[in-house]
Amino acid sequence: MSRFNLALRLLWRDSRSGELTILILALIIAVTSSTAIALFSDRLQRTMVNQAAEFLAADLVIDCTTPISADWLTKATQFGLMQAQTVDFSSVLIEHEELLLASIKSVSDRYPLRGILKATTTEDYTSETILHAGPEKGTAWVEKRILSALKLKIGDSLTVGEKPLTISHVLTYEPDKKGNFYSFAPRVMINEADLAATNIIQPGSHVHYFFQFSGEPQVILDFKQWLKPQLNPSQHLVDIHEDRPELGTALLRAERYLGLSSILVILISGVAIAMATRRYTERHFNATALLRCLGCKQQEILWLYSSQFVVLGALASAFGCVLGWFAQEVLFQLLKELLPQQLVSPSFGAVFFGFIIGIVVLLAFAIPPLLRLKQVSPLRVLRRDLEPLPASAWLVYSLSIGVIGLLIWRYTTDIKMTVTILGAGLGVLLALWLLTYGLLKLIQNWLPSMNLTWRFSFQGLLRNSSTTISQILAFGLTLAAMTLSFTVRTDLIDNWQQQLPDNAPNHFALNIFPEQQAAYKSDLQLNAIKGSQFYPVVRGRLVEINHLPVQQFVSKDSQGENATHRELSLTWTKELPEENKIVAGNWWSNEQLADQVSIEKKLADSLKIKLGDLLTFTIGSQQVNATVSSVRELRWDTMKPNFYMIFSPGSLEAYPSTYITSFYLPETQKDLLNSLVKKYPSTTILEVDLILKQVKTLLMQLTQAINYLLYFALMAGFTVLFAAVYATLDNRIYEGALMRTFGANRSFLRRTQLLEFGMLGLISGLFAVIISEATTYALYTQLMAIEYHFSIGTFISIPLIGAFFVGTAGFMGVRQVLNKPPLQVLREL
Amino acid sequence: MQTQIKQTLNSIILTEDLGKAVVTSEGTLHILSSIDLIINSGESIAIIGESGSGKSTLISLLAGLDTPSSGTIKLKGKSLTEMNEDGRATLRNELIGFVFQSFQLLQGLTALENVMLPLELRGDKNAKAVATALLNRVGLGQRLSHTPKQLSGGEQQRVALARAFATKPAILFADEPTGNLDSKTGETIINLLFELNRENQTTLILVTHDPILAAHCQRTIRIEAGRIV
Repeated sequence: MSRFNLALRLLWRDSRSGELTILILALIIAVTSSTAIALFSDRLQRTMVNQAAEFLAADLVIDCTTPISADWLTKATQFGLMQAQTVDFSSVLIEHEELLLASIKSVSDRYPLRGILKATTTEDYTSETILHAGPEKGTAWVEKRILSALKLKIGDSLTVGEKPLTISHVLTYEPDKKGNFYSFAPRVMINEADLAATNIIQPGSHVHYFFQFSGEPQVILDFKQWLKPQLNPSQHLVDIHEDRPELGTALLRAERYLGLSSILVILISGVAIAMATRRYTERHFNATALLRCLGCKQQEILWLYSSQFVVLGALASAFGCVLGWFAQEVLFQLLKELLPQQLVSPSFGAVFFGFIIGIVVLLAFAIPPLLRLKQVSPLRVLRRDLEPLPASAWLVYSLSIGVIGLLIWRYTTDIKMTVTILGAGLGVLLALWLLTYGLLKLIQNWLPSMNLTWRFSFQGLLRNSSTTISQILAFGLTLAAMTLSFTVRTDLIDNWQQQLPDNAPNHFALNIFPEQQAAYKSDLQLNAIKGSQFYPVVRGRLVEINHLPVQQFVSKDSQGENATHRELSLTWTKELPEENKIVAGNWWSNEQLADQVSIEKKLADSLKIKLGDLLTFTIGSQQVNATVSSVRELRWDTMKPNFYMIFSPGSLEAYPSTYITSFYLPETQKDLLNSLVKKYPSTTILEVDLILKQVKTLLMQLTQAINYLLYFALMAGFTVLFAAVYATLDNRIYEGALMRTFGANRSFLRRTQLLEFGMLGLISGLFAVIISEATTYALYTQLMAIEYHFSIGTFISIPLIGAFFVGTAGFMGVRQVLNKPPLQVLREL
Repeated sequence: MQTQIKQTLNSIILTEDLGKAVVTSEGTLHILSSIDLIINSGESIAIIGESGSGKSTLISLLAGLDTPSSGTIKLKGKSLTEMNEDGRATLRNELIGFVFQSFQLLQGLTALENVMLPLELRGDKNAKAVATALLNRVGLGQRLSHTPKQLSGGEQQRVALARAFATKPAILFADEPTGNLDSKTGETIINLLFELNRENQTTLILVTHDPILAAHCQRTIRIEAGRIV
């Protein structure tokens, strides 16, 4: 105990004299940023999942065509889940001698479990009210288009089936409006209690039931696992990641970016801690020698310092946690306008994680340099030149690599990938180490032919080449982490913007008869509406693969199973559609025969279909065979018509087909839909503009959040860079002061120092760009599914930025050599 | 013969055939050779010699700060040469005090804390009282909370003296204690050192190249080229 008290007293005395400032700063930055990011990303992620759940209006939905067993609902109650139901069906409405096919939705009282409804009751339909429940019994909420098409206004009566209802609201937003065949027509929302009285639903009616559930994530998961084995093929379980791939990917990428940022900030802080501890250690050689001289054993020395570090770690981590908490609060305040109203509260788990990270990072990065103190010889009290051996390299690297490895594993949860990333990282580090060594040797050969300023600057780097190499690697890593953070963020956001450009198609038109196609196209053109290509569609079902029934190839709940249980939209085209990429085989050329088919990659993988396989489809009562000649990758989130199966021209022309297209219709031209529907009554229009708007808002929020995280990471990086430069100054200050005593003038010293630090930064920046580009390439191709682009600009700018910042920081640090009398500087060291 | 046995029995430091050699690129360099020493308890010895003669190496061996290449050292009958580093550290803590030419005060600590340090390492509960009393004794009672930077060279060496005597060591090694001080301050320090030495009945081993300072001691050992002459 008395030893611990002594350690505390020494710690207090050290901190009072300013010896620990840099170390404490680095540690606080590490903990603050890891806590802030952990808290922020955890909170944002849960908020976003919650918001994404809004798109389902629940956490979990059973989508089916007949009501589910009452036992399941009882079970859900036992699980403690909230429940709601909606029923969707189409019905023709007739008012004022106008006819309109509407999509009717009856909702139970608890609907929506997640998210909100928006509606208006004013005549100009502008001011929206947020509502948490649907229409009351006896009333109906309708979309604006219904009023204009049926010549109605609020307060009028609308008969749905046999039930007259009063229109009480104009519905402007419903969370779970889907872009499927039941939403092509404008919405009428009614209360579940009025459903029976409409008398529309009869046995055999085409109806969709949505049984919705919400609750704690773990309970939802348990319920899902209980439910899954009991579902029949017509019952589908939907949660956010499965239901909306375009949101799923965005969320997944954002989650990965957040994870990546926190690892990078921890890495940056780790480097700073290692450098600060190294300085601390070197400044404690004399004190340690004295302690040894006064009778302290080696183990006691180690204990004395490591217990100081643990206490320091605990205090700084606790402080960092509090700061981190405030930082994420500030971040949320900054994002307030963009984020959903209902934020989930921050989790204490994330704070605890930040605290643990602080201690672990401190020990992993600080122990190796600290171990050197154990080796300090007591003889140093008489001979100052006796320095302990540097900490063994394997210890230094294995500890820090171990921690980084653990973090990467936590982030990727993939042991193979973690090992790959670490292996690649180590390889790059080793290569860079050798490269730096070689570069320094090369410079050494050139020294004699350089002028005095250059020679002195380079001699500064060469004098202790192992220290210079470790400094270059440290600065390089820090700069690489910052570059990585910046590049990934920029590409991620670009990727999102490309995914959903401002005029991305927001309406689909289906069931256009071949004879209507030309007129439809010209109508769109006449109204200056930008549309995508018109694709012919033949409905058909995949039944055999190489003459074997397709059921033999499917596994339950796979994409293949879903695709074989329903009719697919088959098309044919001469040109490969935009944003489709051939990954196997070849797209057909003019000479090739008919009866070739190109299949989408994921479906091919799921059904184990290879090039050259013979696929059999039934179209109506006939069978069609086609040979797989290519496999395509495509993006489902482009809002353009996409197909699992594309046939070669000449394969399907004989079968009855309709056309599909998508187009961008601005909000102001929305009324055009009514005239299109009137002119082409057989066609179906799918309005996805609201969904797109939701997706865009979500992406914008994620973008903002990621921007702030980037600023945070950059700020931490620069602070640490400055701190790290300061940690290397003692020797340089000493040498500078000595040179002044020998008569070197200030401008000479200024030039050599600027040049020395500038070179250090330049080389570090060069390495940073190599490390970050290699990592970006690996991340993009392996993890984030973003296309990698090589940019020469990065290769030029990063080394220059490195030279500027390391140069400035170093120059500021050694400034005192220039401004104080040399003797004073020497005494103070 | 009888005198030598008597001396050996009363000895606090005993060395036999002590040597220190280092291997350099130009062959083995013998820094010390065949040092036989008997130093009695309470004795004050001056080790004198030119720079590089090996006197600092000798005290580093005697104090257990370094290990010899040959020969044996016994401190209070315990063989230093058979001990490992931790054993030597324990012995230093129990028996030995140091005063250095460059004072070796910890810069971040106050005068009082510097003197308390060896006591604290022993777990002494009265560290503060003992250290305060000693600093009063060396005339720095008003400077307890001053850090080394705020003290003159002479004052720093007085703090170092107080620290050296704080644990009441049996042996005190002083390596050029006035080497960094002007002659007047040096004289004050030497007087204080000998006064404290007498009060505490400490065995004093003083390394110096100053014959006047050496004359204060009861016995002088001269070293030339690593041998006692």
